[in-house]
Amino acid sequence: MKKLGLILLLLLAACGGGSGGAGDPGKTTESYLQAKIKGEESTIRGLLCAEMEAVLDREVNAFASVTGVELVDMVCTRDATRSTDGEAVVTCAGKIVAQYGTENTEFPLATYRLIQEDGEWKWCGEAG
Amino acid sequence: MRRLHKLLFLFIALLFSIPTAAQEVTPDVFQAATYLNRINLRAGPGETHDIIAQLGRGDSVTILERSASGVWLHVQHAYSGLDGWVVGGYLTLNPALRFSDLPVNTEVADAQTVNLFDPALQTLYSYPVLPTLSPAMTDLFAQGQANGLRADVATKVGDSLVANEYYLTLLGAGTPQLGAHDDLAETVAFFGEALSQPSTAARVGLASYTVMDPMWADKNICQPNETALACEYRLRQPAVALIMFGANDVQFIDAEQYGKWLKAIIEESLAVGVIPVLFTFSYDPESPLWANALAFNLKLGELATEYEIPLVNLWAAARILPQYGLDEDKIHLKNSGFDVLDLTNGNEAFFGVTLQNLLALRVLDTIRRTIIEPTLELNEGT
Repeated sequence: MKKLGLILLLLLAACGGGSGGAGDPGKTTESYLQAKIKGEESTIRGLLCAEMEAVLDREVNAFASVTGVELVDMVCTRDATRSTDGEAVVTCAGKIVAQYGTENTEFPLATYRLIQEDGEWKWCGEAG
Repeated sequence: MRRLHKLLFLFIALLFSIPTAAQEVTPDVFQAATYLNRINLRAGPGETHDIIAQLGRGDSVTILERSASGVWLHVQHAYSGLDGWVVGGYLTLNPALRFSDLPVNTEVADAQTVNLFDPALQTLYSYPVLPTLSPAMTDLFAQGQANGLRADVATKVGDSLVANEYYLTLLGAGTPQLGAHDDLAETVAFFGEALSQPSTAARVGLASYTVMDPMWADKNICQPNETALACEYRLRQPAVALIMFGANDVQFIDAEQYGKWLKAIIEESLAVGVIPVLFTFSYDPESPLWANALAFNLKLGELATEYEIPLVNLWAAARILPQYGLDEDKIHLKNSGFDVLDLTNGNEAFFGVTLQNLLALRVLDTIRRTIIEPTLELNEGT
């Protein structure tokens, strides 16, 4: 019985629990962008790759100056042709919309780079 | 007969060449009168200087000199003979007055800090309204030229206070009304076309940290993973960038973080050869964020000193304006509402955006005259 429990636990881990989803960089990207528009520091911190730790404050406050921020029609998919072992390129359709005062402002989504750190996909900014 | 005609012609010509009484009494362009009930005559060109006397409505003065910005005038009171400094916008000036005919006093400091008890205010006031340019900026301009930057392009980097259509963009809207600031005409002609263009690094809601976030860059014109700042520099190739952030930043990050991001902006500018001109920002002393705003502005001063780059102390210059030059939201600068850039009638003493325009043109004028033109002439000669 103990053995069965351990196997179940391992299966769950492999399927990717946690905030970003270890198995699907597209889902991690969606989770990251959701956290970024809301300024959720702990989620952002958990999903940001190590090389971008220095810009954590920027990522947390990125949309603090605007209101009514939301993601519209977001669909993020892994680009298999540009991805390698441990590094994924994810292209997102959709946009972020927001208001500054009475003015509407939009941020089209783009293509992002994710890398695997400790078995988890981490968001690492836009793909160049 | 022909001789008589000739004599008659000479006589008529002589008659018209003799000045009439009206022509002789040419109004003295340096005479002015106060139009406000009571204005302070101060020991120097700033509101921290001691008050020497108060002038009443209609008092006549003779204009002796101007401050570097032209906002303050050194005058002599006709009745008492006292001389001191007044805000030029509080005087009715002769429309024929031209600052190019008026000496500039750069000896008297813009502020007298000895009477200020708050060390933060002392330091912030100690930065002059308009900077003296360091030799490092001449080297930087030369480096920028070697990198292919365009000498006559200055751009804007900042938040909604900079993206504002009334800030310099108005130069493309019609003939600027420079009034007494005629000495700025060449600079307007030199940079005007570039300044009237929108900048992709000036956007509503932008902050010092998001101008460095590719997500805030215009995806229609910027490259993947390119920041709005890098994009603007790549597309426009400017020699000078007028940089002002603070109104958004002060609400969300601390002074250390602000310093970090300003440093990144400065270093990216220096790396490509763009002269970064920092502007302090006006803020309402009644705001709960006043102390933060002071700390942010002090950070700008520290960075300008550290990197030997120009700093325009808009914060200090705006202290004399109604509501410190701010609009009713106490964040944005007050617009004049005019359709063209209008420096007549002392508008800079009443509208924050007009003051911002004037100081921007003044610092660009200094850069053009002391760095750009001599360098270009030197390059032509070699």
